[in-house]
Amino acid sequence: MPVFTRTTKKLIIKLDDFFDNVDLSLLVFREALKAYLNKDMPSFTRHLQKADSLEKNADRLQREIENDMITHSILPQHRGDVIQLIEQIDEIIDGVKSTLYEFDIEIPEIPQKLSNSFINLAEVSASAGEELLPAARAYFKTPFTVREKLLKVYYFESETDKVAYDLKKLIFHEMPELDLAHKAHLRYIIHHIEKISDLAQKAADLLSGMAIKIVI
Amino acid sequence: MILFFLTSGLFLGWSLGANDASHVFGSAVGSKMVTFRKAAIIASIFFILGAVLQGSGTSHTLSKLGSVNAIGGSFTVALAAGITNYMMTKFAFPISTTQAIVGAIIGWNLFTGNSTDSKTLSTIVAAWVAGPVIGALFAVLLYIGIRKFKRHVKIHLIRFESYIKTGLIIVGAFGSYSLGANNIANVMGVFVPAFNLNDLDLGFITLNSAQQLFLLGGFAIATGIITYSWKVMDTLGSNILELSAEAALVVVLAQSLVLFIFSSSALSALGVSIGLPPIPMVPVSSSQVIVGCIIGIGLYKGARNIKFKVLGEIALAWIISPVASGLLTFFLLFFMKNLFGIEVDHNSAADITVSEDYTTLTDYSISAIIKYLLLGISIFGTIGTTLYFLLERKKKRDLQKSEERFWMNMK
Repeated sequence: MPVFTRTTKKLIIKLDDFFDNVDLSLLVFREALKAYLNKDMPSFTRHLQKADSLEKNADRLQREIENDMITHSILPQHRGDVIQLIEQIDEIIDGVKSTLYEFDIEIPEIPQKLSNSFINLAEVSASAGEELLPAARAYFKTPFTVREKLLKVYYFESETDKVAYDLKKLIFHEMPELDLAHKAHLRYIIHHIEKISDLAQKAADLLSGMAIKIVI
Repeated sequence: MILFFLTSGLFLGWSLGANDASHVFGSAVGSKMVTFRKAAIIASIFFILGAVLQGSGTSHTLSKLGSVNAIGGSFTVALAAGITNYMMTKFAFPISTTQAIVGAIIGWNLFTGNSTDSKTLSTIVAAWVAGPVIGALFAVLLYIGIRKFKRHVKIHLIRFESYIKTGLIIVGAFGSYSLGANNIANVMGVFVPAFNLNDLDLGFITLNSAQQLFLLGGFAIATGIITYSWKVMDTLGSNILELSAEAALVVVLAQSLVLFIFSSSALSALGVSIGLPPIPMVPVSSSQVIVGCIIGIGLYKGARNIKFKVLGEIALAWIISPVASGLLTFFLLFFMKNLFGIEVDHNSAADITVSEDYTTLTDYSISAIIKYLLLGISIFGTIGTTLYFLLERKKKRDLQKSEERFWMNMK
């Protein structure tokens, strides 16, 4: 019986750890991009390694949470949803890691003129992910507050789209000095940064439905 | 021969286990909060305890309705009720054995020309109406309370559900105990006057004749729960209304309270001592109570999720089952009496004399057979349950080890 074991307590701690990992990875993502744009490569490498270890830890926690929930028959009615939510959130941390690796492997050349715009893009995209986490935590304690918390996710996601659109337009319309391959490469990198907020929105959609189900 | 007659009671017990007992854990299993196997084991143990320790109260009411005074009659009444119950279980209708047995006793009264005590019958029918209404009321009040509590304390969902799960097991055990106490009379009540067994001393408790029969009936019920109650549990747990975890707890709790109220002589005496009218000790229809509880919650939530078609079918089954059971008893009694020449009631003094001689002659051997039967089943049941828990534990440990191995390899 759950009351006689520490499974419940351990699972709650694992869930919190998982969210903390994702939260930290978004912070690392921001700092890593700033370091890259400032050409501070040692700092960028350090952040990349940190993101890598956070992602591995999140994967382990994700697997343990899923196993615990299934084997101890925890939250039987919401288990499918919760597992799906954790998978969606895990995709965010995967996205962070893969984007940073893209920078590490491809070493995109970002014109000084675009540095601030790129930092801004990373900020709003990471903010969408960061705002998702309080809502995800609230699902477990105060589900009736989830939807209002998710409003910020949707706001930052649309902001990310706008910033990305402006940035792409700037690159393709106002920077004739760049060749097409360079432009395409920058667009590809923008797309990667933008993906973090898209993943956050996808998880927010799921979470929104879950909150309705649990409140009714 | 007398033990052969008892088999119909055991069959009725099995069908009661398959149908009525599922009412207690139906919502818990249907909402997936408790696994079927765990529910079946807990329900079996507590059902037997309730039957043996507190089962005599309601059997008097059934005796008043119609005192089936011949073993052939008891056999036929139990058989007809068992068949009716089995058929309803087969089609997954949550009816109660109470309905089937009351119908069967009235069938016996009609066949033998005995009068049906209309006062007792009206008390039973009134309890059938009051049961679901009280159940619905309890369910709504408890549901409101639990929702407010959950919102107020801001407890973590996983912790809350783990409390609910523990609560479901405890309340389910209480419900099984109450149902055992309330409904065992349906299974063995008609045999109690026909048996006079020696007291059975188990060391920690001495069982009288009726309690030994109730224990035997309890084992039959436990078999019914373990082998055939899954279908009805599913109907109750998810077909009428999709129940949330807290609603499942509320349903079981409300049902257990209603059953406890209608089977606790002590509670009734307490009420009388403070000037309240006595609570009738009536075998309440647990299916009606639980359906009442589920409807209560459904109505509170706005009635939009209630599947009224399923509900209509269940209501129809409630009307059909006592009628069908009564008719079946009537026809079976006709064949028993005229085709097999078995006495189904003692109207003449000669009959009674023969019967008493027969019972007296076989008393000692029957007592011994039943004693060893009960001890054998008890030992077998205990070993089976222990083995089950050990195997479950081993399975969990194996899984944990394989998980640890996986992460070791990953490193």
